[in-house]
Amino acid sequence: MINRTSFDQVLKKAEKPARYIGMEKNSISKDLSTVDIKFAFAFPDVYEVGMSHLGLHILYNLLNNEDYIACERVFAPWIDMENEMRKEGIPLYTLENKEPIKNFDFIGFTLQYEMSYTNIINMLDLGNIPIFSKDRKEDDPLVIAGGPCAYNPEPIADFIDLFVIGEGEEIVLEIMELYRQFKLNGYKRDEFLQEVSKIEGVYVPKFYKVYYKEDNTIERMEPLIDGIPQIINKRIIKDLDKSYYPEKIIVPFIETVHDRIPLEIFRGCTRGCRFCQAGMIYRPVREKEVDTLLELAEKLVNSTGYADISLTSLSSCAYSQLQLLVTKLINKYNEKRVGISLPSLRLDSFSLDILKEIEKVRKTGLTFAPEAGSQRLRDVINKGVTEKDLETAVSYAFEEGWSTIKLYFMIGLPTETKEDLLGIKDLGYKVKNIFFNLPKEKRQGNLKITLSASCFVPKPFTPFQLVGQNSLEEFNEKINFLKNKIKDKKITFNYHDPKLSFLEAVLARGDRRLGKVLVRAWELGCKFDGWSEIFDYDKWMQAFEETGISADFYALRERKFDEVMPWDFIDIGVDKAFLIKEYQKAKEGLLTRDCREGCNNCGINRSFLGGVC
Amino acid sequence: MNLRVKFTKKGYLKYTSHLDLMRLFQRAFRRGNIPIKYSEGYNPQPKMSIASPLALGIESEEEFMDIELSNKFPEKEFIKIMNNELPEGIKILDVKYVDEKKSLPSIVGWSYYEISVKTKNMIDRNVIEAKINKWLSEREIIFERIKFKKGKEIKEVKNIRPLIGNISLVKDDKNISDDTIVFRCLLKSGDSGNLKPTDFLIAIEDYLNLNIEIEMADIKRLNIFAELEGKIQSPM
Repeated sequence: MINRTSFDQVLKKAEKPARYIGMEKNSISKDLSTVDIKFAFAFPDVYEVGMSHLGLHILYNLLNNEDYIACERVFAPWIDMENEMRKEGIPLYTLENKEPIKNFDFIGFTLQYEMSYTNIINMLDLGNIPIFSKDRKEDDPLVIAGGPCAYNPEPIADFIDLFVIGEGEEIVLEIMELYRQFKLNGYKRDEFLQEVSKIEGVYVPKFYKVYYKEDNTIERMEPLIDGIPQIINKRIIKDLDKSYYPEKIIVPFIETVHDRIPLEIFRGCTRGCRFCQAGMIYRPVREKEVDTLLELAEKLVNSTGYADISLTSLSSCAYSQLQLLVTKLINKYNEKRVGISLPSLRLDSFSLDILKEIEKVRKTGLTFAPEAGSQRLRDVINKGVTEKDLETAVSYAFEEGWSTIKLYFMIGLPTETKEDLLGIKDLGYKVKNIFFNLPKEKRQGNLKITLSASCFVPKPFTPFQLVGQNSLEEFNEKINFLKNKIKDKKITFNYHDPKLSFLEAVLARGDRRLGKVLVRAWELGCKFDGWSEIFDYDKWMQAFEETGISADFYALRERKFDEVMPWDFIDIGVDKAFLIKEYQKAKEGLLTRDCREGCNNCGINRSFLGGVC
Repeated sequence: MNLRVKFTKKGYLKYTSHLDLMRLFQRAFRRGNIPIKYSEGYNPQPKMSIASPLALGIESEEEFMDIELSNKFPEKEFIKIMNNELPEGIKILDVKYVDEKKSLPSIVGWSYYEISVKTKNMIDRNVIEAKINKWLSEREIIFERIKFKKGKEIKEVKNIRPLIGNISLVKDDKNISDDTIVFRCLLKSGDSGNLKPTDFLIAIEDYLNLNIEIEMADIKRLNIFAELEGKIQSPM
């Protein structure tokens, strides 16, 4: 346990000290001397962000359900707290027992976004754990990582002992069970790592060697030892309805990003938007039954006291029984003043009745994501949404009393022209006209339209994984072009920092050689890179310069069809040939139908028998 | 049905804010199926009011709040259910149905604090006590501070003497280390005037020059008192 007196001193100086105390309702604090395995679940960002992540709640409770495991949480302390901790010599500790993470068997990082990688290094360092996997000794914790960014694990391969590829609910227990056996029969770090890499979905980077060509692209990757797979298959939960879901979740003291009950209604997505990584890696679609969800909702409302239930998934309106589920939830909870929210609405499947139902309880601002300004470009990205869809949805929303509308777009999508950019502006003005074309007595509230543009980042395992990203100059030119065109008191234009998106593109599609850059950037003081007020682009560029690695090579280069990608050794079940075909169709502006309307032969139903798609 | 609730806020829970505390209670009421009333309108809020919001970082042995219930809920059961739902450090000590017309915050007059601070130039405690008594015999104690309002610096000058009821020094407790001073003080609290314990410390340091570490002080509220018709009494 850390020194309580100095901890108290440190808390007095920290901003939002409740981030660091634990003790929340439904948190689980076991006697650490009585368990076989101590697992520190590490989220490489601040408490408020990490506590809003559903995966944390699932795995935390799943692991703690086993008597032989204690799972405790650890987050990245904010900069003020880190400084005080270093000054007082307090190592990074878990919230539950205030135990230094160094004393745990596993440190499990969840990889939700690339810009958190320097925080991983920093957290290990603050926990007095060697940052490089190769420097860890027998009694150091095993550093394990999973989550969406693990689908290209290579940029952080130097720091992580083992990765889990795919969904964690089953595999994590298989790994724990194996570890327990090793501990009973004489644990040796290397022997364990060899054995665990035979579990499907586990990737131990140090047992693989990458060979490069003269042009710096990858030639091949080979296992260094016998008996471990050449290709790592992702893991999925076949029957999501029967899969573990917590009946209690931790209720934070302080306000978090998503301060409500997350009710996961299904996994996967059948839409096939060509920029979207989640839409590919989480295939196939698996739904939970309405009755299962109602039962879970009941238990979660009773155990948390939350006043909101959020129906989460990649595209909630695609849930086959949404109407039924929403009606039942509302009938049940209206009186208890528990609200229902749908975080991801699509314009096309925008169900007026459902929105009406929800609105009876609470009304918030509406957000839509047309993603591109013109129909041509929306077809390129296979976002099957039309202008008519948007018009219908917005007209309805205004008539029902909404007046705050947010529209999300991406700039820098493949084949984008000036006309496509102007389409963003035109959509904004169109929405404004719809509002003012309503008879005056029907208009409610003060119209506020926000057009928000992010910079397109090509991601692994998407049809656009080969695309060269726009340069900073191109992004800035496009942003300025739009800024000058959009001049209206009712319409606000927001945009993301292209520098951040550039770095995200580098890390998303990087290989092992980026480990050097990450360490150098961290040494120069980079952390919390996803926080725009802290992100320091110049330090990153210095890190690239000093390590002799070209960032442009990873972000800007259009890759060839036959190039070996750093993540090609992972099989997500969707064929590489399908992704290439989709890219070619994109260039021709050809749509691919929603998988619910007929199979598009992506390969997933061959790879994972039992998946419904 | 207006239920007056007396509770503690101790240990690490002192690091939760007033708003956190309100949220925490709301969720505990919901979990415990306490029949609390909600406000009307767009965003219904449970009807509860806390006597005197406690600043972040201050512990309390005795806090009060009033909650409105739609029907009478047995007192003992309320305490049992709620203490089961509340985190370690927040504990309901007592409840009582009151038919008070005045709101709880409006009747609160005084808070009694215990403040423990370390000092770099410790002197004889009797000397400190004598100095404090001299300080209190002044008619005016002028307290100045710079406030920031809308980006502008505003100098606030006020006489805080009427806001201080009494001060005593804990002298004969063996658990107090040699470099530590422990005060107990009664300070004005609530709508009729307010002196924050941290401002009190700044003022007393100004006078005593003991080089005390104000931001590291341990502050605990021991009691809250109502002032009704000139009499100081417990709100319970």
